[in-house]
Amino acid sequence: MADEQREIVIIGSGAGGAPLAQTLVDAGHDVVMLEKGPLLRTQQQSPDGLSDFKRDELFATGAEKRLTVPGMANIGEAYFSSHVEPDLNDEPHVYRDTDGADRATIEGYTAQVVGGGTQLYGGVSLRFTPDDLRLQSFNAGRTDLRDDPNGEVEREARDWPVAYDELEPFYSEAERIVGLNGTRGNQEKPASVDHYQPPLEPNPISRFVATGMDALGMKRYRTPLAVITRDHEPSGRTVPADHESIKTAFVNRYGDPLGLKSNTWISILAPMSAKANFELRANCVVTHLESEGDRVTKVHYRDPAGGRRVLAATKAVVVACSAIESVRLLQLSGAADPGGFGERIQKSGRLGRYFLTHCFGGASAVLPERADKSKTLDSDWATDHCARGEFVRANGLWAGGAIYNNTSDAALPISLARTWQAQDMDNIWKGYLGDPSIVGNGFERYMDDNFGRRVSVSFMANQVAQPDNRIELHPTVRDKWGRPVAYVIKDWHSHDQALMDILADQCGEILRRGGEGVQFSGQGSVGGQVSRIANHVLGGARFGSDPKDSVLDPDCRAWEFQNLYVTDGAFMPTSGGANPTLTIQANSLRVGQALLGRL
Amino acid sequence: MVIEKDDQYVLNHCTRFLARDGDERRHDFGQYEPGDPRAKVCEAWRYPIVDSYYDGQSVDASYPFNAVTFVYDGRAAPAQEVAVTGTFAELHGQTPLRPVLFLGEASGIHAVTIRVAKGQVHTYKLRVDGAWQVDPLNPQITELDNGRPWSRFFTEGCQIPLTFARRERELLGRLVSHLLPFRLPENERFIRGVYESLDRQSRESQFPLAYKLDEDVGVVNYIDKVVARAERHHLDDYRICLELIDDVLRSRNPGRDPLTLPRDAFADLYDEMATDQVAGWDTGRYGSPRFFLLLLRRHAMTGAFVHPRHGGNSGTAGWAYLHDRYPFDWAAAMEAPLGRNTDYRG
Repeated sequence: MADEQREIVIIGSGAGGAPLAQTLVDAGHDVVMLEKGPLLRTQQQSPDGLSDFKRDELFATGAEKRLTVPGMANIGEAYFSSHVEPDLNDEPHVYRDTDGADRATIEGYTAQVVGGGTQLYGGVSLRFTPDDLRLQSFNAGRTDLRDDPNGEVEREARDWPVAYDELEPFYSEAERIVGLNGTRGNQEKPASVDHYQPPLEPNPISRFVATGMDALGMKRYRTPLAVITRDHEPSGRTVPADHESIKTAFVNRYGDPLGLKSNTWISILAPMSAKANFELRANCVVTHLESEGDRVTKVHYRDPAGGRRVLAATKAVVVACSAIESVRLLQLSGAADPGGFGERIQKSGRLGRYFLTHCFGGASAVLPERADKSKTLDSDWATDHCARGEFVRANGLWAGGAIYNNTSDAALPISLARTWQAQDMDNIWKGYLGDPSIVGNGFERYMDDNFGRRVSVSFMANQVAQPDNRIELHPTVRDKWGRPVAYVIKDWHSHDQALMDILADQCGEILRRGGEGVQFSGQGSVGGQVSRIANHVLGGARFGSDPKDSVLDPDCRAWEFQNLYVTDGAFMPTSGGANPTLTIQANSLRVGQALLGRL
Repeated sequence: MVIEKDDQYVLNHCTRFLARDGDERRHDFGQYEPGDPRAKVCEAWRYPIVDSYYDGQSVDASYPFNAVTFVYDGRAAPAQEVAVTGTFAELHGQTPLRPVLFLGEASGIHAVTIRVAKGQVHTYKLRVDGAWQVDPLNPQITELDNGRPWSRFFTEGCQIPLTFARRERELLGRLVSHLLPFRLPENERFIRGVYESLDRQSRESQFPLAYKLDEDVGVVNYIDKVVARAERHHLDDYRICLELIDDVLRSRNPGRDPLTLPRDAFADLYDEMATDQVAGWDTGRYGSPRFFLLLLRRHAMTGAFVHPRHGGNSGTAGWAYLHDRYPFDWAAAMEAPLGRNTDYRG
């Protein structure tokens, strides 16, 4: 039987794949999108009027399972994943820990579902600053950088081959089609159009954060969030009559049964799902790509029953399955054809290298007043104070970052307990269970002290790009298809640690200046913990203007291929000083335009 | 009553768990007998799929029911005819499973969705090309009076004991009551008030079936259900440790039933378990009392405040306790008639 022929195959339906798909489909091209995860619909879309996303704390963090992957140092340990995160025993990500041992981790996986990570994220949709895209120029000739004895920070910094002004129209378009609420004033990110819908009333806990920011002279704005608060014309969505009812703590790590959170499925893909030239195949995992010369010709995948199938792509193949998995897919394709695909994709030697996440951390406090944190979205106030060039230079830093408060964390009773002093997804429940005093009267004191009274402020900042921070194929561990799994090898640079200490202190200051009665609890960062990723997986196939220094050209096309594109966060040469989703979406639209010009 | 569900729904609940190559047994955490093929499947406990039900018109009329989807995986050995029969069907009638398609071709997976009342336990078998068998996916198997094995499932909010004997439940109740604050006198009064204030009508609309309105806010029932299904690998932890705790308390208090011991006896035991040093504990039978305590605490916290569909937080008493003490308007987000949100249907 001849292979099924399609013009364009897009692998992945999240922030990297969906916006570009819209550009190509609107222009009339034949597009098929393969998504590994299920197509979980909203109530409105579902034929039976029910969604597969639920307001149920056991959907965000499900039943206990135990790690059984051979060779892992954490074998036998408990882990908990949501209903759309991968099963660690079937598809582990392995990282090399500081003790040299390999451990499987849930960190760094985005959701496997149509819409990808945008189904579960909190929706924080910040732009990067113009300086975030030109950190090589910004740092040229500087001698004042903290904790950089070998000059690596300046040496490894790269300007993006695309300036902010070129990306700006795509930011605006992404903001329009995705559907965000927030405010524009006081941002350090110039915008040509304001497509924000009005924000909802902040949760009362955020008042203290506003007070602290004001006391420090930090200009603040309402955090842009990917949740619609008014009817949204581009996606045809409508909101409940009572806008305040949109606020629910079932937001971060929960899919939205009502479709108000602006994930890429509900915003972008669903509105075009009836078009004849677009087809979305859920529950289909791509195993490898096949090439002839400088063209990728075939996409090999497994259908929902696990059967082998092939799509022949006549025009282009777009890889957008989140940075770690995209890099892995390219490496697996190379391993299947070392002299062909492998040699081309690895010509610069950069594939897998310069893997990035974010410098992140923050501070937390207990407030004098209690609020109902279950009525909230993910964040209320943000500030670009520490993203300004003046701040960055004055503190001997190479780059800055955004600061915003979190409102939905620990808002629901079980989540308060299971995230108690748990630093990441691998540590869920451990803090609560490790404290034997939280019983009986002690339990009541614990709830009195914390439930509805905790507030935290986070920063999200650039991580120094390092060639040895990398994604490889693991030499021994296989996934459920018998394929080598991703091996994450990374560490923090000494300058990262300095940057995180300074920004954590800024977050701490906000809370220490938050007003009378605010009890500062502590501040910190992910420094020292190599597994921490914040689910922001970036780099590994960076774009650039020099084929010897990058994997992708300025249009995110693989240098040695005519028709292979990578449009998730893997393209980033620096990680930006903010959550990456909106930038991935904007860049996907930009690449869509470039690709359109070549078809 | 058969409910229409599209093939997308079935595949959404199958691919991640069933599709794979190879024979690795990575999903055995101690819950399977050697050689049980379910160890190759991810989260086999999810089958049959017990999900919300909506008739398309009335949430109130729909709330007493679940949609239960039976799945037969015939990819390895293709089947022509698959049907299910069980105690949920009238006169044990057979309901055929339909072939589930992908791109118009048979996937090898068969499925059917049936409306079943909440709060129930049922046994069933599949008939595959004429031969009756237990469900090869579902790990819940029960022996009926004649000693024959049947597959079993239970629906949401089930209050019928499935795992523990009465004495085990009572001992578990004593242990849990020390972990949570609901036995403090003022809270005990409050919880009783919650149950007394549930009028007959709201009991019937929210919790259509009889269940025990107990003072542990349903935690024991939650544990009974979680080890029957999603965390079956902890069944032995409970069985062994409840016996050991019973033994320890008996040997410390000769002639007295541990269930009648004062609160302090359990408090002392708890403190010892927390340090992993329990005098009289047979570590040969169970190595770490602390491990069991942490398991119990996780289940107690979850069971007290979980969505009542999972069998805990019965009568939403856990949420009501929080609402009484704190600004916590849980009902605003939760589906009516359990909560008062009419946009979200659960």
